[in-house]
Amino acid sequence: MKQTALHTRRSRIIATILFVIVSIFVIRLFYIQVVQHGYYTALADQEQLKKERIPAMRGLIYAKNAGSPTLLVMNETVYTVFADPAIIKDRDKVAEVMKRVAGGNVRKDFESLLERTESRYQIIATKVTHLQADKIKDEGLSGVGFQAVSQRVYPEGELAAQLLGFVDTEGQGKYGFEGYNDAELQGVDGRLETVTDVSDVPLTIGDRNIREPAQDGKNIVLSIDRNVQSYAEQALAGGLKRTGATKGSVLIMDPTSGKVMAMANLPTYNPAKYFNVSDIGAFNNGAISIPYEPGSDVKTLTMATGIDKGVVKPSDTFINTDAIRIDGWTIGNATRGMTGTISFQTALTWSLNTGFVTVAQRLGDGKTITRSARDTMYQYFHDRFRLGQLTGVELANEAPGILYSPQHQEGNAIRYATMAFGQGLDATLVQVTAGFGAMINGGSYYKPTVIDGYMVDGAYRPLDAPKPVESGIVKESTSDSMRTMMETARGSSFGYLDRQGYKIGGKTGTSQVAREDGGGYKDDETIATYLGYGGTDMPEYVIMVSLSGDGTVLQGARDALPVFTDISNWMINYLKIQPKG
Amino acid sequence: MSYQQNNYYVSRRQQNWSRNQNTTRYASAVKLGPVTHTILVALMVAVLGLIYLTQATRATGYDYEAQAIDSQIAELNQQKGELEIENARLTALETIRNSSVAREMTTPSSTQYVNQ
Repeated sequence: MKQTALHTRRSRIIATILFVIVSIFVIRLFYIQVVQHGYYTALADQEQLKKERIPAMRGLIYAKNAGSPTLLVMNETVYTVFADPAIIKDRDKVAEVMKRVAGGNVRKDFESLLERTESRYQIIATKVTHLQADKIKDEGLSGVGFQAVSQRVYPEGELAAQLLGFVDTEGQGKYGFEGYNDAELQGVDGRLETVTDVSDVPLTIGDRNIREPAQDGKNIVLSIDRNVQSYAEQALAGGLKRTGATKGSVLIMDPTSGKVMAMANLPTYNPAKYFNVSDIGAFNNGAISIPYEPGSDVKTLTMATGIDKGVVKPSDTFINTDAIRIDGWTIGNATRGMTGTISFQTALTWSLNTGFVTVAQRLGDGKTITRSARDTMYQYFHDRFRLGQLTGVELANEAPGILYSPQHQEGNAIRYATMAFGQGLDATLVQVTAGFGAMINGGSYYKPTVIDGYMVDGAYRPLDAPKPVESGIVKESTSDSMRTMMETARGSSFGYLDRQGYKIGGKTGTSQVAREDGGGYKDDETIATYLGYGGTDMPEYVIMVSLSGDGTVLQGARDALPVFTDISNWMINYLKIQPKG
Repeated sequence: MSYQQNNYYVSRRQQNWSRNQNTTRYASAVKLGPVTHTILVALMVAVLGLIYLTQATRATGYDYEAQAIDSQIAELNQQKGELEIENARLTALETIRNSSVAREMTTPSSTQYVNQ
C-alpha cells in the first residue's frame, strides 16, 4: 500500500516535469510560429526567394533595302569586368589574362586598381565581348566578376545618325527616332520571383512563384531606304566639299504618301560613339529641328495660292521695275534687268521677288496687301501647307518654326510681302517639303512619316497606305499649273542636266539669314536651297537640299541645285522609272 | 489472436439484395483500439508525406533540367545574335562598297528600258 502510494507520487512528479517540458516546447513553438511568424517568414524569403527583373529587349530598327527590311540598329550584349581586389589571389595572372584576352578593352590603369585592397569593386574592363568573357571565365580567376550590359550596334556606321539618335548608358533613347519612340522601343520589363537553391537555380516548389515574361520593344521598319539615304549623304558631302558650305541637309520624300525616303544631315557623328561628340549641336537633325527663312522655294506656294484663289494665272502679266514699295519699304529683286511687262511664269523662272509681292497684292485689292490678302495667305501657308507648325514626324526635337498670323502685331503688310518670297517666316525643311509635296500631288497633304511598318515574329508587317490628313488643299488644276510652271522654269535653264523623258521641276532658293541681334539680315551669309521633284505623269519623289555655313554666301542655283540634280538622276535609275515621250 | 466466422441470416425484406445474390456477410472479429488507430493514422500521414517529398524531389530534378535547357537556349540565342550582327556588318553598304567585287564594277554608259 505504501509502495503504491510512492509510485503514484513519482509518476505525478515525472508527469509534471514532462508537462512542464512539453509546455515549454509548445510555448516556444507558439512564439516562433505564431507570434514571430512574419519575422521568420521574411527571413526565409530573404534567403530563399529570389526577385529578378527580366529585362525587355529594346526593339530593333530596320531600314528599307529596295523594298525589303534590313537591319539598321541592333542590340549586343557586352560585359563590364569588375574585380574585388580584396579576394584576388594572383594579381599577376589576372593582369596577364586581361591583357591577353581583352587588351583593347581594359582600363589604362587597371593594374594599379587591382592593388587597391581596401576597395571591393573596381571596374577593370568595359565592352568585353561574349567570346572574350568566356575566355576569361575559363581561366577561373578568383575575385573577377562580369556584368552583362546591352548596347546598340549600328552595322551601317554613321548612316542616318541624326535621324536615328542614340541610346545613352542609362538605356534611354536620345534625339531622333530613338528619343521620340523611346517608350515603344523599350518594351516592358518582366518579373521573376521564385524560390531558388544555393546555386540560384529557380525551383518550382512554393506557392508564391511569379514569372511575368518581358514584353520586348517593337521592331520598327523605317520608310528610310538605306540606298537612297546613303546616296543622299554622299551627294550632300560632295556638295559641301564643292561649295565650301559647312552644314547641309537633304530630305527625300514620297509626295503621294508623306513617307520619308532619306533624311541626311552633315556634319554627322557615329551614334555608337556619341560620347565622343564635343559639340552637341551635331546631334540635332537640321531637317526638322532648325527652322530658317526658306527663301524663294516658298514662291511656289505663293503662286499656288494666287492660282487657287483665281487672282492670277501663269501667263498673266505685271509690270516689273525690279523694285516695289510696301508701307514705305522697298523690296528689290536679286536678279535685275527683267523689267517691263512680264508674265508670272517669267517671274518664277527668274525668281523675281516683285512678281510674288504682286501676287500677294492681287489676293487683296490689287494695290496693297490688305488684311483680306494676309488672311488668305495665312490660311494657305499655315492651315493648308502647314508651315510654322509641327508636322508630327516621329522624330525628337522637331521645331514648329514661326508664321505670324495677320491678327498678330507682327503680321503686317511688309511681313506678308516678304513672306510672299519666303522671308519673314521660319519653317523647317520637313514642313516646306511636305507642303510642297501636297501642292504638286493634286492637293492632298500627307503627314510626313518615317515609319513604314513593323517586324513581328520575323515577318514584315507594313502599315496600311497612309491617308491624307487633308485633301483639296489646292485644286487639281492648280497643282497641274504649278507643275507645268516649275518644269518650265527648270527646263529653261537647267533642263539639259536632267535625264530626258522625265518631268523634273523645281525652284531655287537663296535665303538671307537674320542677325542674332534682330537688326535685319547678315550681308555675309546666305542659305542655298533647292526644292524639286521628279517622275513622269505624277511626281514620284520630292527632294529638298539645303546648304549653309557661318559667314558663307551660297546660292540656290549654283550650290544647291547640282546636289538635287545628282540625286534626282540617280533616283530615276534606282526607282526604275521608265521615261515617257 | 483467433478469428471467428459467423453467418447471419437476414430476411430479404430487411435488405436490398436481389435474388441469387450472396446473402452471407463477413464481419471481422478484430477490434482495433484507439492507440492502434492513432498509429495507423500517423503511418498514413507519414506515407503521404513521403509521397509528397518524392514528388517534390522529382519536380526539383526537372527544375535543374529546365535550368540547363534555359542556359543552353540563352547561349544559342547569344550566338545567333552575334552571327546576325556579323552578317549585318558584312552586308553593310560600306563593306559592300569596299569589297573587291564592287571595285570591279563600272557605271553603265546608257540605260535602255523595255516596255512590258
